[in-house]
Amino acid sequence: MTIGMLADKQNRDGGWPYVRGSSWIEPTAYAVLALLAAGETERARRGLRWILAIERPDGGWPPRAGIDQSTWVTALVALVPPEELGASAHARAIAWLLGTAGRESTLTFRLREWLLGNAGLSEQEPPGWPWVPDTAAWVGPTSLAVLALEKEYRRRPLPAIGERIDSGRRFLLSRVCQEGGWNYGSVRVLGYACRAYPETTGMALTALRGVRSPATDRGLAVAQRFLGECRSADALNWLRLGLRAHGQLPVGYCHPLEVAERTLSDTSLGLLVAEAEKGRDFLLA
Amino acid sequence: MPRTFTRREWLAASAGTALLTGCGQERPIVPSIVSIVRAPAYDQRLYETVRRMLEEHRLEVRGRNVVLKPNLVEFEPESSINTHPLLVHAAFEAFRGMGAASVRIAEGPGHRRNALDLADAAGYFHTVPRFEDVFVDLNLDDVTRVHLARQFSSLGPLHLANTALGADLLVSMPKMKTHHWMGATLSMKNLFGVVPGGIYGWPKNVLHWAGIQECIADLHAVFPRQFAIVDGIVGMEGNGPIQGTPKPVGVLVAGHDPAAVDATGCRIMRIEPLKIEYLRLASGGESHILERNIRQIGESLRAVATPFELIPEFQWLRMEDS
Repeated sequence: MTIGMLADKQNRDGGWPYVRGSSWIEPTAYAVLALLAAGETERARRGLRWILAIERPDGGWPPRAGIDQSTWVTALVALVPPEELGASAHARAIAWLLGTAGRESTLTFRLREWLLGNAGLSEQEPPGWPWVPDTAAWVGPTSLAVLALEKEYRRRPLPAIGERIDSGRRFLLSRVCQEGGWNYGSVRVLGYACRAYPETTGMALTALRGVRSPATDRGLAVAQRFLGECRSADALNWLRLGLRAHGQLPVGYCHPLEVAERTLSDTSLGLLVAEAEKGRDFLLA
Repeated sequence: MPRTFTRREWLAASAGTALLTGCGQERPIVPSIVSIVRAPAYDQRLYETVRRMLEEHRLEVRGRNVVLKPNLVEFEPESSINTHPLLVHAAFEAFRGMGAASVRIAEGPGHRRNALDLADAAGYFHTVPRFEDVFVDLNLDDVTRVHLARQFSSLGPLHLANTALGADLLVSMPKMKTHHWMGATLSMKNLFGVVPGGIYGWPKNVLHWAGIQECIADLHAVFPRQFAIVDGIVGMEGNGPIQGTPKPVGVLVAGHDPAAVDATGCRIMRIEPLKIEYLRLASGGESHILERNIRQIGESLRAVATPFELIPEFQWLRMEDS
């Protein structure tokens, strides 16, 4: 799909659906970034107006209009440059991310676990990010939050931001599957090793850009294997980003033509990845 | 869906209740009809088998909107992890043949975000003509905020997928599998797929924090117009629902009452349903899922039951006479 076709899928309210119907933040944020990368600012700004209209009072964003809870999609909004989103809205998104962590990291939860004899008070995993507040942290939302904060850190290198990037990355490194790579975030269930997924492996590797460790090396090997086997546009987009973040995308790699883009998020992310591979990284830079 | 009962069934149910309660003061339990049908393989015979099975249940779907909810979990077409597409297509064709105004296939996978890719890998595009036109990704569907009718879990009001809420008949089509958290996963657990990942994430972790067993019972109560068809042609034993081993059983289990269908599925697996917490909660105790309060049609339990391997943590669920 071309950028023009993506623009044509814009809803009247300014947002984009996943496939058809109501607007959601995720496809809209990716579409806005893709349009900005392509210089289609007018359409992008209509999308931004819809995004800004559904910001919640706590500075976060719900997944779509009518939902009274800020969630992981706030990280996607924070990927939009502040000069486009608006500096104050962007600052609120960053503040929301800095104030959000998986429920297992909260003092209340740790105290409860200590009282139940399940863990020592000092035993704490590095805090990651949940899909929705008051639940556990997972690989997907943690990767996206790290990407948003890393982008912000390059503009404003504040220690608080650097610390959360570091803790988010340590969270990801603590959730590596036995075979290497990442799934949604469970390494083992009842003693059984869980398998890695291509999409989350690509996301985690993207968030671990610049981090060299045995875990990232194993993740890269798994990602290379997935890149050859996988036929999901979403997964391939993230694998390309993840491998590219570590300079490991095979030279001359060609995206398979037969891969179907199932959602407008797939389309937008694909356009962003293609731009990034041409040296114009609007998603991460 | 209205259903008639013979005088003999009512008398049998009343007698069963009197025996159960010891006083005869409570309302009689209306026995749930559950069919067990032999289906030895995923082949063309399934279309006729499913059509006959649904006819036996006298489902009235003419002019109604039917939603088939299979269980799609992982990209492993060679495993027995997902509901087989041929069974879903057989049900699709049967409901269309019975005059349903619309039949759609809908699922919201719990771990994998790319539902259509998952369905493609599971063989749905190959098996169901124009699959994309009849499929709804419940994770990305429009939603309605629902106050739970019964409240076993600590969930507050929940956003649920409109396609499922708007169905005149929601047909849960799970695999017959063991489950490493709950012992068994059948038609009731399959309803986790109507909770939209687009709102709650992947996995739908709010359900875990609110109590998995209790949430299953809560969701069951939201959908009064259900039918269940369990894919037990090849189930999964051991470390289900993902990493278990294929278990050929060669049966379909079906009925209007998901708790009774799931209890029967458990008995086929030689798992004691009265030890499955969500079944006890949803059936209002245990009487509704007692074997004597289920009217079995088709094959007998004894003829098809085969012990499913259980992980060590769930050996205690094994039926005592196994």
